[in-house]
Amino acid sequence: MSRRLSLPPARRAWLDVALRVTAAVFGGYVLTYAATAALARLLPLARFDAAMLATLLSFALYTGFVLWAFAAASVRRVWLGIALSLPLAAVGFWPVWFGGAS
Amino acid sequence: MSGNRTFRQSMSWLHGWAGLLLGWLLFAIFLTGTLTVFDKEISWWMQPELRDTGVDQPTAARFAQDWLAREHGEAAVWSIGLPTERSPVLKVSTGEDRRAERLVLDPESGARVPVRDSVGGNFFFRFHYSLHLPRTLGIWLVGLAAMAMLVALVSGIVIHRHLFRDFFAFRPVGSRRAWLDGHNASAVLLLPFHLMITYTGLVIFFLIYMPAALDALYGGDRMAMLREASPGAQAVAGGMDRGDQRSRDGASAREAPPAELLPLESFIVPAEALFGSGMVASLRVRHPGRANARVEASPLLGSRIALTKGEAAVFDGVSGKLLQAPAEKRPSALTQRVMAGLHFAQFGGYPMRWLYFLCSAVSCAMIATGLVLFVIRQRLKVAEANAGQGFLRLVETLNVGTLAGLMLGCVALLWAARLLPADLAGRAGWEARLFFAVWALAFVHAWRRPPMAAWREQLWAAALLCMGLPLLEGFSAPSLDKTRLLLELCVFLCGAVLGWVAWRVGKASAADGVSRSLEGAMRC
Repeated sequence: MSRRLSLPPARRAWLDVALRVTAAVFGGYVLTYAATAALARLLPLARFDAAMLATLLSFALYTGFVLWAFAAASVRRVWLGIALSLPLAAVGFWPVWFGGAS
Repeated sequence: MSGNRTFRQSMSWLHGWAGLLLGWLLFAIFLTGTLTVFDKEISWWMQPELRDTGVDQPTAARFAQDWLAREHGEAAVWSIGLPTERSPVLKVSTGEDRRAERLVLDPESGARVPVRDSVGGNFFFRFHYSLHLPRTLGIWLVGLAAMAMLVALVSGIVIHRHLFRDFFAFRPVGSRRAWLDGHNASAVLLLPFHLMITYTGLVIFFLIYMPAALDALYGGDRMAMLREASPGAQAVAGGMDRGDQRSRDGASAREAPPAELLPLESFIVPAEALFGSGMVASLRVRHPGRANARVEASPLLGSRIALTKGEAAVFDGVSGKLLQAPAEKRPSALTQRVMAGLHFAQFGGYPMRWLYFLCSAVSCAMIATGLVLFVIRQRLKVAEANAGQGFLRLVETLNVGTLAGLMLGCVALLWAARLLPADLAGRAGWEARLFFAVWALAFVHAWRRPPMAAWREQLWAAALLCMGLPLLEGFSAPSLDKTRLLLELCVFLCGAVLGWVAWRVGKASAADGVSRSLEGAMRC
C-alpha cells in the first residue's frame, strides 16, 4: 500500500503497480475475450448454447484473472499469462481467420 | 508491490484500492439502484396530479379506444398503458416513438388529466445504469465499477480471517471497531446478495460487455444470434425484431382497406391467458381501423422471474386471432433472462420489492463504511508518517460529497418535484439540473469545511429534508393516498436514521473520540 510505495525504490513500486493495473484491466479483458471465444468454440453444445454459456461465465473468468494478476509473484508472469490470448484467440476464431465461414 | 508479499497482503491491497477508487461510483450506482426498486411509486409521488380512480382494465381499454378513435383516428400506432397495481392510471400515446409523451386520461371524467412534467423515479433508473452520461459511455463505466465490485467482494472474502466469528461481534456503539464491524457485518450478512446483484447486473448487458462468443460464432451478428434464442420460432415477437416488422408493414398500411377494430377490452382476457391474471401492462395497436390492424399485448415485467422486457403477444385486430405468442426460449437464453430478472426485481410483488430494497440498502451501507474505513486508516498513516495530507483531504472530501452529498441530492430532487412551478417550461430538465447542482454544491461544501463538520452538516441537511418531506403535502394540491403516504413515511424514517448518524458523528467529534476510534480500527 502507500506505506510500501513510499519506500526508497518508490518509483519502481509505482511502475510495478501501473504495469499490474494495465495488465489486469486491459490485458485481462483481452485474455477473457480470447478465452470466451475459445470456450464458445470448444463447448460440445449447440452454437447458441455454447455462446451463451461462455459469455455468462466470462465475468467470473475476468474476476479470477484480475485477482491473480495482483497476487502473482511478478508482473512478467502476468504478461506471460496474457500472451495465452493468442493461441486462445486462434482456437476461437480459427474458422473466421482461416476457413471462411464457420 | 513486489514478489515477497503473501497472497492475503496482495488481496488486501487490491481490496483497499479497488474499493476506494471505484467505491464512490459504486455507492452512487447502488444508492440509485436501491431507489429504483420503488421507481413507479416515486414517479407517482412526484406527480401529485395523478389519482387512483379505481378503474378496471376493460373499462380503461374501452375508454382509451373511444378517445383515440375520436382524437387520433388517423394515427398509425396507438399505445395504451393500462392501469396496473403500481401505476393505476390510464396513459395513451400515438406514433412509433416509445418515449413519446404519454397523456393521462381519466375514464371517469372523460378528460385529459394535466400532469406536471417530471423526471420521475425513472431518473434514478437511468442514473443507475448509465449515470446520465451518453448511453454507451455510461454503460461501460457502470460495467467497470461492477467488475471492481466483484473483485472487491472476492478479495474481501480472501482477506477476511474470521468470517463468521466477526459477524457475531458487532459492537455498534461506543466501540473503537464499530466501523470495521459494520463493514464486515454488512458484507458477510448479505454476501450472496452482493454477489448476485453485481453479477446479474453485468449479465444484463452481457453481449455489449463481452461480445467474444458473438464475434467468434456469429461473426458479430447480434440479430442472427438472438434469432436462435427460441427453437423453431421464425419471427420472435420480442423488441429486437420489431424493426423489420415495422418496415414490412409500413408499405401495406396505406393500402389496407378500412375495417372495424374489435373492442380492445376483448384482447385482455386472451392476453391474460398467456401472461397470468392481472399481468397485462399495455396494448399497442398498429393500423387501427384498417384490415391489417394488429394488437400487441405486453406483460407486466413481474409476470415471471425471467425478465420479459420486449416480449408481446400479437393478435389480429379485426378477427381477434392470436398471431404470435411470446416464443418459448431455449434453456440457455432463459438462464440469461432469469439472471436479468433477478436483478430487475419485478417479480414477487411488494414483499419481494421490500426485501430487495432492504438488501440493497445494506449493500450501500457496506460500500459507505468501507470508504469511511479507508479514511480512518489513512488518517493514522498520515499521522505516523506526517505525509500525504493532501491525498487524505481529497479522499475525505470525495467521501462526504459522494456519500452524504448524493443522499442530499436525491431528497432535493423530491423537493424540486413538488416546489418547482407545475407549468414551468422544460420542467423535468430543471429537476435534473437541481439534483446535479445540489450534489455539486455538496462537494464544494465538503472541500471548504473541516471533514467532521462537513459530515455533520450534510447529514443533518439530508435528514431534515427527508423528515420534512411530509410537510410538502400541505403546499401542493391534496393528493395524499396510500402510496404517497407510505413513501413519505419511508423517507421520514430514512431521515430519522440519517439524523441518528449525524448525531453520532457530532457526538464523536465533540468528544474527540474519532482519532481514538481510528486507532482501534487500525489495530484490528
